[in-house]
Amino acid sequence: MHHAFELPTVVLVEDSDEDADTAETAFIGSGVAASLRRVTSGDACIALLKTPGQLMPALVVMDLNTPGMDGRKALSFIKSDFLLKAIPVVILSTSASPQDRDFCYAAGANAYHVKPIRYPDHLQVVESLLKYWLVEVALPAVGGA
Amino acid sequence: MSISEDITVRLPWDGQPYSIKRFGVAITNCDSEPVQTPGCIEGHGALLVLDPIDLTMLQVSDNTEALLGIAPATLLGQPVDRVLGADATDRLRTCLAHMSIECNPLYVLTHPGQDGTLPLDVTVHAIDDVIIVEFETTARTAAQEPDYYALIKQSVSRLQQVSTLQALGDVATQEIRALTGLDRVMVYQFHDDGHGEVVAESCRPDLPPWLGLHYPAHDIPEPAREIFRRVWIRSLRHVGAPLAELVPLAHPHTGQALNMTHCALRGASVMYTEYLHNIHVTSTLTLSIRRGEKLWGLISCHHYEGAVTLPYGMRAACELLAQIVSLQHESAENREHLQYRLQLEETHQQLIAQAFRGEGLSGMMVGPSTLLDAVDSTGVALFYQDRWWCIGATPSLAQLEALSVWLSTRADFGSTTRPIFVTDALSSLYPAGEHFADVASGVLALALARTGTNRILWFRSEILHKINWAGSPHDKPITLGPHGPRLTPRRSFELFVESVRHRATPWSAIESDTVLRFRTLLIEFIASRAEHLGALNNELTRSNEELDSFAFIASHDLKEPLRGIHKYAHQLAADAGGKDPQRPDRLQSLMRLTLRMDSLLDSLLHFSRVGRIELQYERVDLNDVIADALEMVDARRAANNAIVLMPQRLPDVVCDRVRVREVFVNLLSNALKYNKQAGVRIEVGYLDEDNITPQMALPPEAVGHPVFYVKDDGIGIAPEHIDQVFKMFKRLHGRDDYGGGSGAGLTIVKKLVERHGGTVWLTSVLGQGSTFYFSLPARETP
Repeated sequence: MHHAFELPTVVLVEDSDEDADTAETAFIGSGVAASLRRVTSGDACIALLKTPGQLMPALVVMDLNTPGMDGRKALSFIKSDFLLKAIPVVILSTSASPQDRDFCYAAGANAYHVKPIRYPDHLQVVESLLKYWLVEVALPAVGGA
Repeated sequence: MSISEDITVRLPWDGQPYSIKRFGVAITNCDSEPVQTPGCIEGHGALLVLDPIDLTMLQVSDNTEALLGIAPATLLGQPVDRVLGADATDRLRTCLAHMSIECNPLYVLTHPGQDGTLPLDVTVHAIDDVIIVEFETTARTAAQEPDYYALIKQSVSRLQQVSTLQALGDVATQEIRALTGLDRVMVYQFHDDGHGEVVAESCRPDLPPWLGLHYPAHDIPEPAREIFRRVWIRSLRHVGAPLAELVPLAHPHTGQALNMTHCALRGASVMYTEYLHNIHVTSTLTLSIRRGEKLWGLISCHHYEGAVTLPYGMRAACELLAQIVSLQHESAENREHLQYRLQLEETHQQLIAQAFRGEGLSGMMVGPSTLLDAVDSTGVALFYQDRWWCIGATPSLAQLEALSVWLSTRADFGSTTRPIFVTDALSSLYPAGEHFADVASGVLALALARTGTNRILWFRSEILHKINWAGSPHDKPITLGPHGPRLTPRRSFELFVESVRHRATPWSAIESDTVLRFRTLLIEFIASRAEHLGALNNELTRSNEELDSFAFIASHDLKEPLRGIHKYAHQLAADAGGKDPQRPDRLQSLMRLTLRMDSLLDSLLHFSRVGRIELQYERVDLNDVIADALEMVDARRAANNAIVLMPQRLPDVVCDRVRVREVFVNLLSNALKYNKQAGVRIEVGYLDEDNITPQMALPPEAVGHPVFYVKDDGIGIAPEHIDQVFKMFKRLHGRDDYGGGSGAGLTIVKKLVERHGGTVWLTSVLGQGSTFYFSLPARETP
C-alpha cells in the first residue's frame, strides 16, 4: 500500500526510557513533520522494517547498545539488505570510542552522534539531527512498499 | 706409551744377545728393556731348550749341575733322555704328540731327586720352533699338596655372586690372598690414559693400605703389559735372588735370543726388580684381568718377607681364578653400569619433580638433590633466565661467560641430535681453560635448546687435586735406589703429575647418554612451562580484555543512568514550582556531580585504551609536535598570559606522534593550570649529556637516552606529595581548584612514556615551580 499523503516515519531504536523520552521531547521541539516510532531492540527494528506492507521509514535513529541484537548488528543487517540499505541510519550512542565510531561508518552508518551528558546538549543534538535529515537533506524515495 | 721403535740411541747389547746379568745395570728406560728375552732364569729352577725334532738340548741354564746333577757342557747337543731318563722322555714325547703346548706350559711329571738334588716339577711348552722344559721345586707329595679344586670351587662361587666391580675386586683379592698367603693382594686398574689405580685390596692388617693410590703409566711399562696380554700369571719367587744364564745365550743354529714370555722361570726385569726392591717387596705374584683382547688391569700381589714358592698347582689355581675374574668382570661392570644409570635416572626424575614444584629449572639448584647430583661432578653451572646458577666448584662468572661463548662456536655443541660437549682435558681444546683447570679440567656441557644460550655445564676438577699419590713426597722420604734416583717414589710422582696435569676423570658413555636423556626431560619441562606461560598470557590477555570491557561498561552503561539523573535534575531545576529555597542550588550540585562523574568515566576509558593501543612508530620532528600541542592548549595559554620558551630546537625522534603530543599537551596544560603567576613562563627543552646536572635526579634507566622536559614557574609540589602525582585520579588540590580535571592526566603521561620504553620523573620546589622530565629511548626508524 502506498499512501503519498502519510507523514514520513522516524524509527527510534532505544532501550533507555529516559533517552527515548529525551528524543521524543526533542522530536516535538524540532517541529518536523513526521511520526516517531520507537522500538527497544535491534531485533524489533528489523522485524518492523521487514513487516510486509509496512511503509519504509525516512530515517532510523539507532542506539548501539540495545538488548538482543545490538545496534551494530542491526545496522549491518540494514546496510547489507538490498531493499533496506537506502534508508539513512543515524547512530546516537553513549560511546565515544573510536572503534565504535569507525565500525559504524564502515558498516554504512550515515552519521554518528555521541549522546551528551548534559540534558540541554542532548536535546540539541537530537533536534538538529532530526531537522537535518528530515528537512534539509533530499532523501531517497524509499517510501515504496 | 712410547715403544722401543722410537728409540734411536744404540743399546749397549746392540748386535749381541741380551742378558740381565751382563747388561741389566745399563738400562735406563723401562720401555727399552727386552723383558721377553732376558737371557736368564730365576736361579731356583733349571731350564732346557730342546730341538723339537730329536729332542736334543740346544741351550741349558748354567745351574744344571746344582739342580739336575749334570754340568751344562755335558748336556748340550745330547738327547733329553740324558736328564730325564727313558721313561720320562717317553712321557714327554706322548705329551708333545697329544697335548696343545704351543705357548701353553703344561705339567708333565715330577723329576725325582737324585743324590743331592731335590725332586722337581717338570713343565713343558713350545714356542718359536723350540721346546722349553722347566724344572721347579715341587710341592707334590701326597701330604703337602692341597685340594686346589675344592678351594677354587668355593672361590668361584663367591666370585659369581657379586653384582659390582668393587665387590668383584674385593672378593678376588680376599680369595687370592687366602689361597696364596701373600701379604698384599691388589686389583690394579689401568685407566684410559694408561695410569693405574689400586681399586681393591686385601692386605695384612698391619700394613698401610694402598687402596685408592694412583700410579703413573710408566710404572708398568709397555713390554710388561704386552706380556700380560699373553700370559695370565707371573710369579717371582724371590726378588733379587741369583739368576742362571742360558748356555749358550742364543740359539746355536739361528742365533736368536730365547723368547721366555711363557716361562715360569723367566728372569725378572731389572727395572721391575729394582722397583720392588725400592718398595721392600721380596716376592710377587701377578695375574692379568682382561676384557677381550684388552688388558683391563692386574691382580698384583706383594710379599714382604723372604721367598714364596708357588708350586705349579697353586699357580694353575690362581690362573683359573684370574680367568674367572676376567669373565665375571664384564657382567659385573654391566650390572654396575645399569645400577649407576638407574641411580642417575632416578636423580633426574627427582630433579624434574623439583623443577615442577619450584620456580622452574632453578628449583633444581636447591633441595634434597641438586643439579650437581645429575652426574658425578664437582661443580655445575646452569644458564637459565639470563643468569648463571652455580653449585660446587665452578669457574668465575666471567670465565663461564667466555667458555659459553666458545662453546656456542663448536659444531658438536650445536648438533641437532647430540647437542653435548664432553672433554676430560678442557685446556687442550680451549687454552683459556688453563686458568681454571683446577676446578674444570673436565666439562660436560648440554645445550637446552638448539637456539639460545640456556645450557648446563658440569665440571670435574683436575685429577691432581683429587687423588692420592703413590710415591708422593709428602707420604714417604725420598730414597735412592741402588742405581740412583730412577724408579724411586719421587721419580714416579713427578712423571705422574705430568701425565695427569690439566686432566679430569673421563666422562663415561653412560654419563653422556644418560645426561642426553635428562635433556629430553628438561626440554619437556621447559615446553610444558612455556605452555603454562602461554596459558597465563592468554589469561592475562583475557583479563585485559575484561578490564577493557569493564572500562567500557563503566564509561557507557554507567553513563546512561548518569544522563538520566542529569536530565531529571535539569528538569526539576527548570521547574520553578518548588518551595525549598535551596532546591535550585542542590539540583545544580546534582548536575555538577553527574558531569564530574562523566569526566572521570571518560578518563578511565581513555586510560584503559592507552595501555593497549598499538603505538605507531615514525620519525617525528618534535618541534612540530610542540607546535601542535601548544595550539591545543591555546585557550588556557591565552587566559594565563603565558610565555612558552624553547631554548633549543628539539631533535627528531622515532615515536608515536599522537601519543607524544598527548604527553606534551598534558604536561603543558598542567604547567598552565597549576600556576598563580600573572605572566606564566614555561620552558620546553631537551637534555643531552652536556647539560645534565645532579639536581635533575636522572634515574638510572634514563641514562643514555634523550630526555625532554617541561618546566614551569607554578605552585610546585611539596616533597611528600611528589610520589602521588602519577596515581590515577589522585588530585593534590580541591576538585574545582585550578580549573578542575579528572586527575588522570599524569597517569596517562606515565603510561604513554612507559609504553615508549621511557621513564618519567619530576623535580619540584614548592612555591617555585616544577620540572617534568621524560626519556624516549632511541629506536631504529621503522
